[in-house]
Amino acid sequence: MAHLYDVLVIGAGVVGCSAARELSKYQLKIAVVEKGPDVCMETSSRNSAVLHAGYNNKPGTRMAKYCVEGNSTFDQIAAELDIPYKRTGKLVVGYTEDDRAKLESLKAQGEKNGIVGIEIVDRAFIDEKAPHVGGNFAMWSPTTAILSPFQFTYGMAENAADNGVEFYFDSEVTAIERDEEGIYTVKTASGEIRTRWVVNCAGLGSDKVSAMLGIDEYTLYPCRGEYYILDKRIGDMLPLPAYPVPNIKTGGLGIHLTPTLDGNIMVGPSTEYIDENDNYAATKGIMDMLIDDGSRIFPYLKKEYFIRNFAGIRPKLNPPSIGGFHDFVIERRDEIAPHAVNLVGIESPGLTSAVPISKEIVRLISEVEELKENPDFNPIRKRMVTFRDKSHEEQAKLIEENPDYGEVICRCETITKAEVLAAIRGPLGAKTMTGVKYRCRAMMGRCQGGYCQTRIAEILMEEKGIKPEELIYERRGSYIFTGEVR
Amino acid sequence: MNRTLTCILCPNGCELEIVYEGTQIQSVSGNKCPKGAGYAEQEIKNPMRNIASSVNLEGGTMPLVSVRLTGPIPKAKIMDVMAEIRKASVKAPVQIGDVVIADVLGLGCDVVATRNVGIK
Amino acid sequence: MNTIKKQVVIIGGGPGGLAAAVKLKKAGVDDILILEREHELGGILRQCIHDGFGLTRFGETLSGPEYAQRFIDEVEELGIAYKTDTTVIGLTGDKKVTAVSRDGLFEYQADAVILTMGCRERTRGALSIPGERPAGVFTAGVAQTYINLKNKMVGRKVIILGSGDIGMIMARRMTLEGAKVEAVFEIQPYPSGLPRNIEQCLNDYGIPLYLSHTVTKIKGHHRLEAVEVSQVDEKLNPIPGTEKEYECDTLILSVGLIPENELSLMAGVELDPRTKGAIVDEFCQTTVPGIFAAGNVLHVHDLVDFVSLESEKLADAVAKFVKEGLPQAEIGVETAGLVGYTVPQKITGDADVTLSFRPRKPVRDRYVDVYQGETLVTSKKYVKLLPAEMEKIKIPAAKLVPGVNVKVVTRDE
Repeated sequence: MAHLYDVLVIGAGVVGCSAARELSKYQLKIAVVEKGPDVCMETSSRNSAVLHAGYNNKPGTRMAKYCVEGNSTFDQIAAELDIPYKRTGKLVVGYTEDDRAKLESLKAQGEKNGIVGIEIVDRAFIDEKAPHVGGNFAMWSPTTAILSPFQFTYGMAENAADNGVEFYFDSEVTAIERDEEGIYTVKTASGEIRTRWVVNCAGLGSDKVSAMLGIDEYTLYPCRGEYYILDKRIGDMLPLPAYPVPNIKTGGLGIHLTPTLDGNIMVGPSTEYIDENDNYAATKGIMDMLIDDGSRIFPYLKKEYFIRNFAGIRPKLNPPSIGGFHDFVIERRDEIAPHAVNLVGIESPGLTSAVPISKEIVRLISEVEELKENPDFNPIRKRMVTFRDKSHEEQAKLIEENPDYGEVICRCETITKAEVLAAIRGPLGAKTMTGVKYRCRAMMGRCQGGYCQTRIAEILMEEKGIKPEELIYERRGSYIFTGEVR
Repeated sequence: MNRTLTCILCPNGCELEIVYEGTQIQSVSGNKCPKGAGYAEQEIKNPMRNIASSVNLEGGTMPLVSVRLTGPIPKAKIMDVMAEIRKASVKAPVQIGDVVIADVLGLGCDVVATRNVGIK
Repeated sequence: MNTIKKQVVIIGGGPGGLAAAVKLKKAGVDDILILEREHELGGILRQCIHDGFGLTRFGETLSGPEYAQRFIDEVEELGIAYKTDTTVIGLTGDKKVTAVSRDGLFEYQADAVILTMGCRERTRGALSIPGERPAGVFTAGVAQTYINLKNKMVGRKVIILGSGDIGMIMARRMTLEGAKVEAVFEIQPYPSGLPRNIEQCLNDYGIPLYLSHTVTKIKGHHRLEAVEVSQVDEKLNPIPGTEKEYECDTLILSVGLIPENELSLMAGVELDPRTKGAIVDEFCQTTVPGIFAAGNVLHVHDLVDFVSLESEKLADAVAKFVKEGLPQAEIGVETAGLVGYTVPQKITGDADVTLSFRPRKPVRDRYVDVYQGETLVTSKKYVKLLPAEMEKIKIPAAKLVPGVNVKVVTRDE
């Protein structure tokens, strides 16, 4: 890490990776530092996986602007980075006249934000689009989509890496110093990095990084959202996301049901302010509440369909006493920290807004210095082949070309050895069990790795030359084995 | 004295009611077969168990080969036998019944392989 | 792609599939193919290195790999075709089987398909245990694979949730390898595993078993650090104030097995919500003609010996099916009282038939009665009925009349 970077991005979530990719369009030497062992490990991977339309945020806010823009420009980014998504549209369902009034004002807000096509629809419309979803009427948002947040983030990161961005993992930032020449020295758990610019995309840690830059006025309030994931068996019953009328106070969108691209259903998230920004626990009371609330708009939530629960944490700028949404902070504070772009409180709709946010980062830098385009920038990234989506003829051909496609590792999701190897060997390849899971879906099915995790552990150790005691599940310290039996 | 035991000789798992004095059995009831009485007597005098484990395997298609004892050993000796098993190592190929440790600790039982493993 | 014709395709080369293949071949059906996803035949028995298998089937006690090898040797001797490292990815109601291996993608058209895919374990997700998601939480079978097949030790200080047999066997296995197993907790007021395993796996090693207790929280950001355990009331809800924390680095779950019926569902086979396996007649034929099921994919068994015996019975029926066809089973078997389910769920009434069943809870000195309408067909007294043990009752055909369902009930006296 001896050399000097032009830009150092702190944090390898969706915003950090998007920023790195956007910056790699210019002639800059760029690095990303990440405290975890992989990209996409916190808020970016733990959310509803929805590309929002942008009607939930107040007109004139960055949230509203970037969300609408992120939605309308997504087709291009998805084409460039081969990101799976589906414009399912979304229903926000209501029951009472009070709900109707709220939906009307939500629609008006959306229209003010520049969204086209939203309308209030009757029960017959719901029956046609999603007959199993409850509600007497609804707001229909045609541009809402479901996407893979994993592939979105990996796409950005891999393309950035392909365009010369360097990634440093297990490198939590501990201090930032700036010398007389204006060069930053960023101290991390794995060494020091020198850079001309710092971009704070540290998500849940962005208040701390901001303070290290000298901008010490922000405090984040971690706000946990828990989810259930349901078995694919009932996936067909929910073709699109179904939300309740949002409660403005809580700063969440209410317990909703979202189909995933792979055919599961997610129920959640709750809205609970917590003390730690890394406590992803699920709690009994909230788990029960999810079922109760979720059942109001989708009354088919049976315990036998639950395959997993998980939680994500929102980095909220508003304290619990105020609640609601605080607009994104995206700023350059030349008087305190010149040559730094400071992002704090990037919560929902951060996933949808990631690309417009990264364009704003570039704009803020280009106000200070001229950025020259990188003539070698390649915008294209290809995702690994997904065997199970292919016809039998194509599958036969794949196996002929590469016999690893003939070895099914994950039975529930039909993930082959070729895909597991692609997850490990690919650019910024997986080093952890979760990294493999997020990249290729192995272990995400109903048996939750009961069949395949032992084989994946073996492949991962062999490919990466990892000793048994060093193999980790997700985060540092999450060792799987205490050693060998013999 | 009275004691209730679960016979482990077969999956029936008969609940045995034993009346005994010292190591002398006076009566056994609850057993569906005659083996139960013998088990009860053994259990009062000197409980015996078989154990299964694995030993290190060199050059095999698997890192380990599973083993068991050819007969039960005194319960009190289990951990001593495990220490021997831990030290043992065999070379592939291995066949079911191959003796890995003969007459382990002089207890009259062999440690034998319970799996066929070929050469890598 | 060529479609290969086969008289019988067997999906799964574990104890069920192997026993069916051997018996089928001996019954004169030659054109058999076993498809097995693992590198070797033997199924789950490969990792069950403890002894206690085979007393019923072979009259001696064997370890899992030895038990499996007896059938594998017969498969080899009889020249039965099998393909390992081969995963079935598709099955249709008209018995077309699609499988892949490193050698390619294969399509088979079978006259009969035998489902012997076994079962999988219930997971933490299915139980919805609250708490964090550290490493160190394993299902018992996964821990068993790591320790017995992959030479990897999964932990040193262990709590076990669920008193299933595999969990208890892993308690002993890990103790022998130097781990400290603190306790086994079971949410039900009775154990779910066999009494002999409580004796030889827990009592022998001084491992306490707490009934009516469950894990109510999992702690640890990275690796498991502790679990919180609570007592539960008669509705199985945790009782506030009874929480107790146990430090541990490993939590083993032995909380139930679920028949693995993904392929069955693909083929349109109807499942019984009680067993989570196929609805079958006395020939082990599912609701899709020509598709048969036996072993743990049909209903979870307590002993492998019964898996073998059931599969051998199935093989006789399949031999008859491919040669001359089978009669329709039109007498439904209903259950009531403490009888949780029966397999088969329908019978022909043409011949004597033995039903397998499990009670809903442990009881002593009960009668099981089989009625057809008002007529008592048969009755049997059981000194003890345990959910951990699969029981059997034989129905004499001579006493049955056609077209009327039978009902299996329990009676106190």
